Amino acid sequence: MNIFLRELKANLKSLLIWSAIIALLIMIAAAKFSAFAGNPEMLAILDSMPPAMLDAMNMRAFNLTTLSGFYGLMFLYFGLMGAMAAAIWGSDIISKEERDKTVEFSLVLPVSRSHVVTAKALAALVNCIAFVLITWGISLVAVRSYSPDQVFHEFLRLEMLAMFLIELIFLAVGLLLGCAMKRYKLSASTAVGIILGTYMLSILSEMQKDLDFLKYFTPFRYFDAGEFFHSGTLEGIYLLLTALILVVCVAAAYLTYNRRDLYI
Amino acid sequence: MSVIEVTNLTKYYGKSRGIVDVSFTEEEGEIFGFIGPNGAGKSTTIRLLLSLIHPTSGSARIFGKDVTTHGPEIRRDIGYLPSEVFYYEGMKVIDLLKYSASFFDCDCIQRMHELSETMELDLNRRISDLSYGNKKKVGIVQGLLHSPKLLFLDEPTAGLDPLMQRKFFDLIRAENARGVTVFFSSHILGEVQRLCTRVGIIREGKIVEISNIRALQQNNYKKISVAAERLTPAAFEMPGVTNVQVEDGTLRFFFKGDINAVLQKVGAIQVTDVTIEEPTLEEIFMHYYE
Repeated sequence: MNIFLRELKANLKSLLIWSAIIALLIMIAAAKFSAFAGNPEMLAILDSMPPAMLDAMNMRAFNLTTLSGFYGLMFLYFGLMGAMAAAIWGSDIISKEERDKTVEFSLVLPVSRSHVVTAKALAALVNCIAFVLITWGISLVAVRSYSPDQVFHEFLRLEMLAMFLIELIFLAVGLLLGCAMKRYKLSASTAVGIILGTYMLSILSEMQKDLDFLKYFTPFRYFDAGEFFHSGTLEGIYLLLTALILVVCVAAAYLTYNRRDLYI
Repeated sequence: MSVIEVTNLTKYYGKSRGIVDVSFTEEEGEIFGFIGPNGAGKSTTIRLLLSLIHPTSGSARIFGKDVTTHGPEIRRDIGYLPSEVFYYEGMKVIDLLKYSASFFDCDCIQRMHELSETMELDLNRRISDLSYGNKKKVGIVQGLLHSPKLLFLDEPTAGLDPLMQRKFFDLIRAENARGVTVFFSSHILGEVQRLCTRVGIIREGKIVEISNIRALQQNNYKKISVAAERLTPAAFEMPGVTNVQVEDGTLRFFFKGDINAVLQKVGAIQVTDVTIEEPTLEEIFMHYYE
């Protein structure tokens, strides 16, 4: 419990910074949306853009002049931000002890390494939950003036759920990297590299139809705002894949951390 | 009862050597000195015993329990002062000590204040503002506050001024008098000599000698200096004499063997001064290094 609470306190600043960034992003986007809202000319401009570009930006699935359409586009940022924050929290919370050389204190305390990982992972999980809730709350405030309807609220709920699942995936990946990599300097940057790599993969698999099978390898395709906007639900196969990634990463994290030498 | 039992403990970091085939035991209530130059494997040994790293082969037991499988349980009764102390920079000293205390089944707050008073540690400062020596003091208080049964001290006096060193040694002696077993690693022999009953000497990852500190001094060389007029090294040319130096009519040398042989030689000449001393551990130690 004491490790968990100390980590919450130590990570509060990072949570606040990420929240401030996403708040700023949502506010700016909402202000920009006022130019699109119910404006048919905008639709004409968008229609004249090359389809490949629209695909890459995932703009074709949505009618950008509606609030839900606009928020469908926003999901791109939520997913990326959530993934980044979660991966960095997950890897840093473990590797910082080695970076700051505090392992000779914290792991000489009478606690098992598994206990340490559990407490720290839970603290990072709380951060992830808080980050989604904050994003949700700020979104509600930001779109207030556009009188959101029931459809939008339902869509936003799904988006937040999807954002949370993306966070979970990358939290687990980050945790694994933090636990497994002795070279602590690399763990956070590797995590960010994986995010960018899988994100590129998601764009690629979307643009090239014969590369469609790649979608199983990138969590960003698991939760496609365009698809769950129309279907109103997250797809079962991807939920299963998410669960699989979580179990494998977390189990591997515990296993490697218990076995390896700490870097001192 | 043996508190520490180390059996053929070996650790390689990839291909580079940590320690090789190290075996020794430490009995309850002992202060065991662990001496060796930098890089000999002292810290590696301690880190293996604390299961911060895992052995390549061999095993180690503390309180009769294997260190790799019973780590958390063993560490309940262990205090550790690392050679370099690092704590969470943003925390205040008092918060860090309370945090550390919260892991132990004890009411350590009063002891924390007593220890801090002894070591003249200001509890209200931030860790990041502390000097090297002050961080070391935090380490001492943190390592002792839960009244451990076994203490690991890794180069403990680095960064402490002589006055604090003395207070620290008094503290360790007092702990030892209460029955605490101490594992004292150092490359400064003087302090090992002052404190320890038994020593192990480690060099290039291997134990070279384990012995009682008295025995180490007695069964070894004598340090002899003879002052006389017109004295030449030739006067003491005999087996067992080494390191002969002449300075201002004084002859200094080490001697190993029957001391009567030297006394006869001394008796044969008109001397102005004679001293026969135990060599310091330092001097014995240099011998092991050569």
